[in-house]
Amino acid sequence: MPIALRPVYAIAKKEFADNARNKWIISLIAIFMVLTIAASFMAGQGRAGEMDVTVGVLISISSILVPIISVMLGYATISGEAESGALSVVLACPVRRVEVLFGKLVGLGSVICLSILVGFGISGVLIAALTGHAEWSSYIVFILLTMLLGMLYLSLSVCISSVLKRRVTSLGAGVIVFFWGMICGMVWLGVYMAAGGDAAAFFEGEISDLPDWFWFEVFLSPQDGSGTATMLAFGETEIMGYSVNLPPWVNLGTLVLAHLIWTLVPIAIAYWRFQKRDV
Amino acid sequence: MSDPTAVIETVNITKRFKEVLAVDSLSMKVQKGEIFGFLGPNGAGKSTTIKMVMGLFHPTSGSAFINGKPAGPDSVELRRDIGFLPERISFYDNLTPIQTLNFYCELRGADKSVVPSLIKEVGLEHAANRKVGTFSKGMVQLLGVAQAMIGNPSIYIMDEPTGGLDARWVKTVRDKIRTLNEQGATIIFSSHILSEVQALCHRIAIIDKGRLVVEGTVEDISDRLRIMPRLWIQASGIDKETITAIRSIAGVEEVSMSDEGLLVTCETEARMTVIASLRERGVAVSDFKTIDPSLEEAFVRLLSDKEGS
Repeated sequence: MPIALRPVYAIAKKEFADNARNKWIISLIAIFMVLTIAASFMAGQGRAGEMDVTVGVLISISSILVPIISVMLGYATISGEAESGALSVVLACPVRRVEVLFGKLVGLGSVICLSILVGFGISGVLIAALTGHAEWSSYIVFILLTMLLGMLYLSLSVCISSVLKRRVTSLGAGVIVFFWGMICGMVWLGVYMAAGGDAAAFFEGEISDLPDWFWFEVFLSPQDGSGTATMLAFGETEIMGYSVNLPPWVNLGTLVLAHLIWTLVPIAIAYWRFQKRDV
Repeated sequence: MSDPTAVIETVNITKRFKEVLAVDSLSMKVQKGEIFGFLGPNGAGKSTTIKMVMGLFHPTSGSAFINGKPAGPDSVELRRDIGFLPERISFYDNLTPIQTLNFYCELRGADKSVVPSLIKEVGLEHAANRKVGTFSKGMVQLLGVAQAMIGNPSIYIMDEPTGGLDARWVKTVRDKIRTLNEQGATIIFSSHILSEVQALCHRIAIIDKGRLVVEGTVEDISDRLRIMPRLWIQASGIDKETITAIRSIAGVEEVSMSDEGLLVTCETEARMTVIASLRERGVAVSDFKTIDPSLEEAFVRLLSDKEGS
């Protein structure tokens, strides 16, 4: 599978420039900055809260927002262009399909990663300046994990776009994938209850002695996995105010590995399907 | 085994979409330096065949060759020398023509300095800074022609290149096709406009329901189908007996009379006999001319024969 860098760069540059022209990048940076500062003031109850508390509030919002943005950026990238006919002109040029796929991933991924880096980065500096405290290493891990979450949902949406024929069905599937991350916890809780779990104790916050298998959910839901990984990066052991005992196999390393698998497997499927696709 | 002299060749190429057999074991050859017309009614399989040659569709069976080498989705080097204009061309709405052509220059590894002259060549200089999303269908088509010319390829594959264009631009595109061919390019194009194909093409292939009906020059095909030239005669004093007498002349196939004159479909050798016979019967012939067989007649004849069989 030889890959030439020139077409990858040309396609990535076009994707990035499209989003810069459409003011998407500026909008995303502004959203992330406003979000972080708002989260900081919420955490600090009216004044700038410190980084660990701010990130605690931020996780729940960014784990919804970042996947939505990624799905919106990626869902039509193959199916939409194939439907309009633009893709056939691109593929009639001396480029390989794998180069088109990687070009799109790199270009759209740059939009997501740059927006997160600049948006959260600038607001992180502001919070550190206002509070006089900074947990830079943990905050950087949070930024990297958020970028990874963005790339994960981008690869999922590009995979969907590569497999499905029409733009509208790709959008529908993208929404389903997004909601899976949201409702997975509830589904898993249902499994726990069906397996004889103590519902009353759970809702009263007694979650310290949950069975180990229950925590496998953080590998099934990228959003929950990302939140848990960020929490671990800051050394937190509480989820929504409840103290938890995570099994040793739920750690930053395994969660990042799970995210990488969630990212790479869809890319492999996207490549396989795109190669076979009639455009 | 492919023919090394053919620029484009399909060998028993077949494409099936579930229940629909779009292209059925189609074999044809396009030789270097010719303008090759690809004809067929709607849904005949023209665009599907072209897309298989370009590696955009995967053949169910059979193969396509470009310059004797197998063509497929990853035939990057082969596509470097091909300018392609798809039937339903679409560009990115948010780009201007300059940005669009710059992007395709980057993809083709071509020099971007040609972009302004390409835009001028297709007459889009007045819209050079407008977004493509605001263009009419014809303007997008012209931009498509400019895009196909990037890198000065030696092969052009154009699917309905004049579709959606007004008369002025139809002529521009036809002239461009002719000029490119005169400069040595091989051109294959599909069209519904038979007069256009007849005027431009050295050879044609007609397909129907995915199968090759005939391939050759217009003259060859007319000869093969025994489509005779017609003799148009302007004359006064033609009565029923005269028409009956003309019909009885050897080599005359059909005679019809209208306000515009007498139309006689006959073999070339019978033409002078017809004129002489009219004179003998006292008919005053004021004008006459020969109407050569048209591709339209061949096309209609071929497809109706095929349906009849």
